[in-house]
Amino acid sequence: MRLALAIGTFFILVIHGVVFYNQFFHQWERNQTAYFDQARVLAKTDAERAALAARKPRIEQIVVSNFGETRVDRCTTCHIASDDPRFATYAEPLKTHPYSAAMGDTQKNGKWERRHKFSEFGCTVCHDGQGRGLDPEYSHGKDEYWPDPLLGYTTQAHWRKDFAPKLKGKEYMQANCAQCHTDIAFPGTALVTKGRELFFSSNCYGCHRIEGLSDGTIGPDLSDVGKKWKLDYLWGRIADPKFILATSIMPKFNLKEEDTKALVVFLKSRKGRNFAETEIQRFKVKLTGGAELVQATIKPVQINPAEMVRQGEKLVLDRACTACHKLGDRDGGIAPDLSFEGLIKDGPWIYEHFKNPKSRMPDSIMPAFRFTDDEFKAMTAYLLTLKGSPTPAGGEAIYKSLCLRCHGEKGDGHGPIAEHLDPYPRDLTKAGFMNSKTEARLVASIRSGVAGTSMPAWGKLLTEEQAKNTLAYIQTAFTKEPRRELKARNIPEKNPVAMGKDSVARGEALFVNRCAGCHGKKGDGKGPNSLDILPKPRNLRNAYFVDSVDDRRLFEAIQYGVQGTAMPPWIDYGLTNNDVGDLINFIRSINLKSKGGQHAAAIQ
Amino acid sequence: MSRPAAPKASFLASLLELPKNVWSSIFRNPLPSNDLERSATSFTNFFLHIHPVKVHKHSLRPAYTFGLGLISFFLFVILTVSGILLMFYYVPSTSQAYDRMLDLRGSVAFGTLLRNMHRWAAHGMVAVVFLHLCRVFLTGSYKKPREFNWVVGVILFLLTLFMSFTGYLLPWDQLAFWAITVGTAIAGYAPIIGKDIQFLLMGGTSVGQEALLRFYVLHVAVLPAILTLMIAIHFWRIRKDGGLSRPEDADPKVSLVAMENAVEVKASVLEPKKVYGFQGLVRGPLTKVGEIPDNTVYSWPNLFLAELFVFVITLSAILVLSLLFNAPLEEPVNALHPPNPAKAPWYFLGLQEMVSYSAFWGGIGVPGIFVLLLLVAPYLDRSPKGVGKWFSRDRLLANTIFITFVVANIIFVIIGTFFRGANWAFVTPW
Repeated sequence: MRLALAIGTFFILVIHGVVFYNQFFHQWERNQTAYFDQARVLAKTDAERAALAARKPRIEQIVVSNFGETRVDRCTTCHIASDDPRFATYAEPLKTHPYSAAMGDTQKNGKWERRHKFSEFGCTVCHDGQGRGLDPEYSHGKDEYWPDPLLGYTTQAHWRKDFAPKLKGKEYMQANCAQCHTDIAFPGTALVTKGRELFFSSNCYGCHRIEGLSDGTIGPDLSDVGKKWKLDYLWGRIADPKFILATSIMPKFNLKEEDTKALVVFLKSRKGRNFAETEIQRFKVKLTGGAELVQATIKPVQINPAEMVRQGEKLVLDRACTACHKLGDRDGGIAPDLSFEGLIKDGPWIYEHFKNPKSRMPDSIMPAFRFTDDEFKAMTAYLLTLKGSPTPAGGEAIYKSLCLRCHGEKGDGHGPIAEHLDPYPRDLTKAGFMNSKTEARLVASIRSGVAGTSMPAWGKLLTEEQAKNTLAYIQTAFTKEPRRELKARNIPEKNPVAMGKDSVARGEALFVNRCAGCHGKKGDGKGPNSLDILPKPRNLRNAYFVDSVDDRRLFEAIQYGVQGTAMPPWIDYGLTNNDVGDLINFIRSINLKSKGGQHAAAIQ
Repeated sequence: MSRPAAPKASFLASLLELPKNVWSSIFRNPLPSNDLERSATSFTNFFLHIHPVKVHKHSLRPAYTFGLGLISFFLFVILTVSGILLMFYYVPSTSQAYDRMLDLRGSVAFGTLLRNMHRWAAHGMVAVVFLHLCRVFLTGSYKKPREFNWVVGVILFLLTLFMSFTGYLLPWDQLAFWAITVGTAIAGYAPIIGKDIQFLLMGGTSVGQEALLRFYVLHVAVLPAILTLMIAIHFWRIRKDGGLSRPEDADPKVSLVAMENAVEVKASVLEPKKVYGFQGLVRGPLTKVGEIPDNTVYSWPNLFLAELFVFVITLSAILVLSLLFNAPLEEPVNALHPPNPAKAPWYFLGLQEMVSYSAFWGGIGVPGIFVLLLLVAPYLDRSPKGVGKWFSRDRLLANTIFITFVVANIIFVIIGTFFRGANWAFVTPW
């Protein structure tokens, strides 16, 4: 017992020895002593030598209060020679901080004068890193928890190995220069400017919001992305969007490395609030949407009517349309194939869709991009020339080349891009649906398309014969049930109830009672039950769709239900033809905006 | 002294004797060489007089207690000392707390060591106090007459948890912020008053400046005061309950010869004017007047050396841990960017894991029942059998219930710590 006690006590003593050694023999003290020794050798006068001899190591610090929250920078404790020009050739940490005319440093009588004095700016305002630390590991921000490692100098151990080497280089510091130098084309922040241009030319702004620059809502807000994330994350999200979030729908843009770098630097400079702007400036920018900055950044192409198609093609290819769409061998894997655009759409459709993607397809996720009218026209002209390659003859070949992208390999509607389409592509394996529709109706869907949805009119590509072949292939490969004779149904050809205020009011009451659970109170298909239903309830505010179906079809869908979907036959629940007539009038009345409103007059 | 010495010589003599006199005025006894002096050493020293003069041999067996109670106490002492030193550098303000942590790590003398010691001793104390509780339960030591001291012990355990929990927030980093957000949310699952407790703890609807200040005050003033008081009661009752528990057969059986002339005297019969000695009034198992064979040894040196040994071991362990492992310090708080998953401190991860199955039962129901069972255990389990032995067969049922709860909790803690990834999905750590 006594021996164990003695050993234990001795052990405690030893540990204290180690602790004291660590406490009183710091690396920074040795650095400072080395500096004093060197400086004594270089000293020219005895007084200087004596002053250096008298100096003892101590913690040096610069308190910086002019730039955001007060910073305490103790970097000069080790980098003690940073302002001593005699140490220009020494190794770090005892190296003079370089002087640079580009940074505004001036030379007077052979002596350099700094524009950015350390006593005013400290170190971390430009370099990042952790100013309070005295240990290189922590103060350079190597530890994985430090949010701002030295920009372009320190990479952290957990960063992805293939990204880390690309994230070194002093040009990354431009992100911090831009916190004060916010001029539109400041020469010192060329990468920020380039990144901002790329942000527009690669159409990042379509999905992302940056306060004062853009208003995209599909992707995350990037206004303070530089404050939230480190370089590796920014680089990773651009170069390989799915690497951090497997469910990310951001397209891979396949940018050149220097473009990625410029974007990363630009994004790193987005810290919400920068040092240069006042509250009132910030508010003004918010009001104008950063008009000046945006105009300076977006460079519209002068469209020459003679070269419209060629210029349109260049725009489509340069401005990252294929980051989502398919065109030839470029495929973003998110949006429909444009290869046959000239055959399946007409000029007004494409142009209107460009101007406001939701105008023709109310549930389209395509962002509204900022092109000039001329540019839109040129792109439209180009897309109209796209006629694809000759269509194959057999049903299977047709399905694979035209239908598969949306309806999927198994015909179940889960095609590669299906999750980005609304309404979702039809599940062709549901025999209930397929066999409750006449062949004529299905052929019509193929050849004339379904208005207001992503289903295009294939009529110019497929003859009646080819459409039937395709249908036959779908029937045998996916639906797998032979077609049956359809029972005759008692459906009025025309709506028996006259359009009018009373009828619409009755219809609305009925709708709220019976339909709103799935179709939603507004009729937009987003009722509380819609979450559990596939296919999703129809958006009844999709005017192009509603206007494209006649009363007879609406009657049939409501009274006899839609087989293969959650829509029940309402005739079983006691709806009379007059009730349905009221409902149809109500549904028509909420879609009056389209096509001049064919029923508008009846209500007024 | 027969004749007075010359004043000058006497003054010189006193100067010479000064160190000796100072020493002997503080330590009244020389190093003891006989039993009388051994006794005197124990009860004339302020720090030693809480101990009995003599201690039962059974209480000194290392494999019976593993010194867990003592380790808990010494960890508390280490925590108090390191905590007070840390208080000199800490500011409970959301804008300064994290910077103070950086200073402690970077430039304060011994700052890293202090923080490490405080952090590891705190984790250690939670673990050791819990082990101590297990020891007392599994040896049946909570039985009569130690029922109330057991209750005090359970309260001490809860206080230790709360103490550690309140300290968890103070570094004001992401780890702290989200652990407390999760922890207080668990409290919010309590029925009826849950939301109010949560609000009271945080001083608002989310963790912020008010919460930091509340946790700080609780951590450095309120809880330590209560904890110190409860520890004092805990120790005092150990003495009053006759020392540590021991099995009936720890003392050889002797047949006491009944005193023939013993007379039962009622207090009311006693003459009011008569002066009674203290011994005459004390009842119960407190004083043995030599009629039982002595199976005890003197506390000096047996008990004191053992205690010193436990202290040295505890301090060495904490020091080594503090040298080898740095207390974590994660990113500064970002209330808009929770880590995924956000985890409570490890000792509450069992609760968080259970909460992921059922908010009420996991967060309040099951732990509430467990604590309630612990508190009433000595009042429900009245059988005097099985005291003082590990895993006594007489206590099979009680021990089985207890071990089931403990093992289940440990498994949940392990799952919560190592097997839960983003969105609380099951992951394998390798």
